Amino acid sequence: MDFIQNFPFFSIILSMFSGIISSILPGKAAKRLNTAVIFVAGLLSLILLIYLIGTGSSYTYMMGHFPAPWGNEIRAGILEAGMALFFCIIMLLSLFGGRKKLNEEVEEGKHNLYYILMDLMLSSLLALIYTNDLFTAYVFVEINTIAACGLIMIRQNGRTIEAAVRYMIMSLLGSGMLLMGICMLYDLTGHLLMSNISEQVALLAASGEYRIPLLVTIALMSVGLAIKSALFPFHAWLPDAYGYSTVSSAAILSSLVSKGYIFLLIKIIYRVIGFEIFDNSRIIDVLFVFGLMGMIFGSLSAIKENDIRRMIAYSSVAQIGYIYMGIGMGTAAGMAASVFHILSHAATKSLLFIAAIGLTDVSGGSRKFVDLTGAAYRNKWAGVAFTVGSLSMVGVPLFSGFISKLLFAQAAVQNNGKMLPALIVLGISTILNAIYFMKTVIRIYTPANGTGSCVTFRSMKLYAVTLVCFIVLNIILGVSSQPVVDLIEQGLAMFS
Amino acid sequence: MQYIILSILFPIVAGLYLLIRKESENRKTLLLCTGTFLIISAVLVIMALCLAGGGMFTLFNLTDKLPIIFKIDEVSVLFSVMTIIIFLCAGFFSFEYMKHEEKEKRYYGFYLIVLGVLIALCFAGNLITFYLFFEMLTLSSMPLVLHNGSREAIMAGLKYLFYSLCGAYMALFGLYFVERYGNTLTFSAGGVISEQAASAHGGILLLVAFLMLLGFGVKAGMFPMHAWLPAAHPVAPAPASAVLSAVIVKAGVLAIIRVVYYIFGSSFLKGTWVQTTWMILILLTIFMGSMLAYREPVMKKRLAYSTVSQLSYILFGLAVMDAGSVTGGLLHVLCHGFIKAALFLCAGAIIYMTGKTRVEEFRGIGKEMPLLLWCYTIVSLGLIGIPPTGGFVSKWYLAQGALSSGIPVFDWLGPVILLVSALLTAGYLLPVTIKGFFPGADYDYNSLRKKEPSALMTIPVLILTILSVAIGLFPGAVVQYLSQMIEKII
Repeated sequence: MDFIQNFPFFSIILSMFSGIISSILPGKAAKRLNTAVIFVAGLLSLILLIYLIGTGSSYTYMMGHFPAPWGNEIRAGILEAGMALFFCIIMLLSLFGGRKKLNEEVEEGKHNLYYILMDLMLSSLLALIYTNDLFTAYVFVEINTIAACGLIMIRQNGRTIEAAVRYMIMSLLGSGMLLMGICMLYDLTGHLLMSNISEQVALLAASGEYRIPLLVTIALMSVGLAIKSALFPFHAWLPDAYGYSTVSSAAILSSLVSKGYIFLLIKIIYRVIGFEIFDNSRIIDVLFVFGLMGMIFGSLSAIKENDIRRMIAYSSVAQIGYIYMGIGMGTAAGMAASVFHILSHAATKSLLFIAAIGLTDVSGGSRKFVDLTGAAYRNKWAGVAFTVGSLSMVGVPLFSGFISKLLFAQAAVQNNGKMLPALIVLGISTILNAIYFMKTVIRIYTPANGTGSCVTFRSMKLYAVTLVCFIVLNIILGVSSQPVVDLIEQGLAMFS
Repeated sequence: MQYIILSILFPIVAGLYLLIRKESENRKTLLLCTGTFLIISAVLVIMALCLAGGGMFTLFNLTDKLPIIFKIDEVSVLFSVMTIIIFLCAGFFSFEYMKHEEKEKRYYGFYLIVLGVLIALCFAGNLITFYLFFEMLTLSSMPLVLHNGSREAIMAGLKYLFYSLCGAYMALFGLYFVERYGNTLTFSAGGVISEQAASAHGGILLLVAFLMLLGFGVKAGMFPMHAWLPAAHPVAPAPASAVLSAVIVKAGVLAIIRVVYYIFGSSFLKGTWVQTTWMILILLTIFMGSMLAYREPVMKKRLAYSTVSQLSYILFGLAVMDAGSVTGGLLHVLCHGFIKAALFLCAGAIIYMTGKTRVEEFRGIGKEMPLLLWCYTIVSLGLIGIPPTGGFVSKWYLAQGALSSGIPVFDWLGPVILLVSALLTAGYLLPVTIKGFFPGADYDYNSLRKKEPSALMTIPVLILTILSVAIGLFPGAVVQYLSQMIEKII
């Protein structure tokens, strides 16, 4: 066994322990430790990714060398390593971009708490990505939920506490359903490891026994994770949670936390239920329809919104809808498009959140559109970054959003039954996106009467550099997407 | 090869430079910069046309199957030459005109970017490249519409944006299908749809072709998606209206040429319901545009409605898919470009010198600025189609092509509508001349003062006028050049 194969385990345990150690460190040291840990985890994932591309196959890793029915397993393939790397990059950039704001909004004594939660968040995300054991997945889902609640609540005001409570209730409902699904699956198959379950499920499906319980299980797990990732009818918790928490939290919640659950769902589809069986169940159509509805209603809510942060939050609902639409198509191409959209949305949405905070800061802290008039002239970097993010969201070529739209459409054209609804809704949603994002861009570039304070590059070096990194990431995904798409397809092939 | 890239990138980079450079008090340096940039761009485009040859040039791959390709063919030459001439004329005109507007730097910045994007559109070698720059054109030309920042301008800009994005998306919808059923996305004369795909998926491909025509037709102001054009063009500063109405809408025409003759192929579309429906829409647009222009009292709006109508003349030529009519359509691209630019510049000069915007206020304007109104009159005659101007030649070919095409009903209905519309054109353009030169007995000649605008304004108008007449006097060379190309695509 190569030493590199230990890396997933290392990165999970490293981030977890750094969380524990941070509890006795002062805020500044916790911050440095957190940055270092994310960096190291990213580096380990990168090395692992290169190693896996070299070997060309995935592997399972037994924790403590206990064999199957008793032991716990980790599994790593190209998709997992790539996703872990990407999550680390986004997390690091989001933290950099929101650091100044964090110092202002969160009281001094709670800084180390924030970084503890962030470490835990990282470890749970990595575990969700790498685990090969359903129950471990459940445990980390819970850790993730609790860390997320803390991240929402750390900026103390009435709205965030309310938002965190709402998030907690909805999220626990989701994890409850997931847990029930896992229990039923354990009942049906007698296993908790993904590979063992999938063998048994295949036998069950072939024999035709327990059809209804199996269907219920699939439904419980899909809907549970859909609630947690804010698929359309279950999105009520989202705008407040993303809209009022401190900006790093909002960026990380929207671009990573919900995506972690979606990744787990994809993993369950491929590794636990089996793609064929999932495709034959009706649940996939339900996800497809909810995805389509989310794409339209999320955008409609965003149009009505008069608060820039909440508008961006509602746009997440629409984008999550895209991802579920891709999953719902039931083809490998649709799934690849969804995975690509996870990346592209993460890169774009965190950019938008971070840019929006720069714009509201120079507008007297107000988030209303009227006050944002001319904000792009007061903070030029944030203005450009917001424009780039918006163009990517609308799907203008050269930015990552266009490639996801292209992939979705290509997937849709191959699926005869779902082609027309998918393409039509894709079109409507694109235009709705354009309405609210372009409205905002025009607003921030309309010269204001009163001259507000301009910020210079010198006063926000870290912030500006972060924005530039995000923009570059976006353009890379938009211009040379082919290697990324190839990797995603290879990774998905390794799943089955 | 490198000339193509240079000719596209230079104006864009120069425009970006103007946008980010510091606002300076000195207006002269700004004008000097812009003028130099414009001239260099023109030289680069001409070098690209002369030296690049017919090869294909791949810039990079968006995805494996979707490369960004540039290629120069006859259509590129036609459109890029027209673009560069009109941009030069309108550019120098704005040096004087923009004196009374604010935010000049932003205007020139976006003006140059739009030029670069248009050149890229002319040189685009496949559908995805075209789509990319088509979107960019919408985004980069929007600030020209938004220029004065009034509420009216912002509403018009948003209208422009949404119509264009809707259209672009319809076209993108088609791109997905063409990618699946076509052999390639590269523009190739005669189409890329194989016989086999055409017979197996004929129905859906026709639907897709229709959607693409409608979608790209938005930019060309085709009914039922024309409403943005009369709103957006008049609110821009006059030289910007000139390029919007004369060149930027031609991007829609270019798109339709590419889709009809280089993607689907005229043999695939000829005689189908798509051709019939499309022609009905076009004839409706021609008639409606002229009618609305006839009733419109505000000069710039009247010209915008006239654009709606005249663009559909071009589209009619393309829709008939007959060698003669296509020649007429392409000739009209040139004529309408020069004429409409000249008309908008005249309207701009009148606004600049007198502040008058409505047609009934133009009494005696010919006495105040005779040279300008003479130019106006000559190009108006061209648009109506009176020999020996360019408009006559193009309309001659259009009507002749339609008559010989043998399409039932449309072969006579088309020319009839063209004639009726020509009468209406005379009806909405000539009153300005008549009122301008013959103000009537009660006109107070004592208060008359010469208000002829400066050379920076008159010379561009004069050049455009001369060009529009020259095409009418010597159409031979252009027609011969066009017929070579048309042989390939029909």
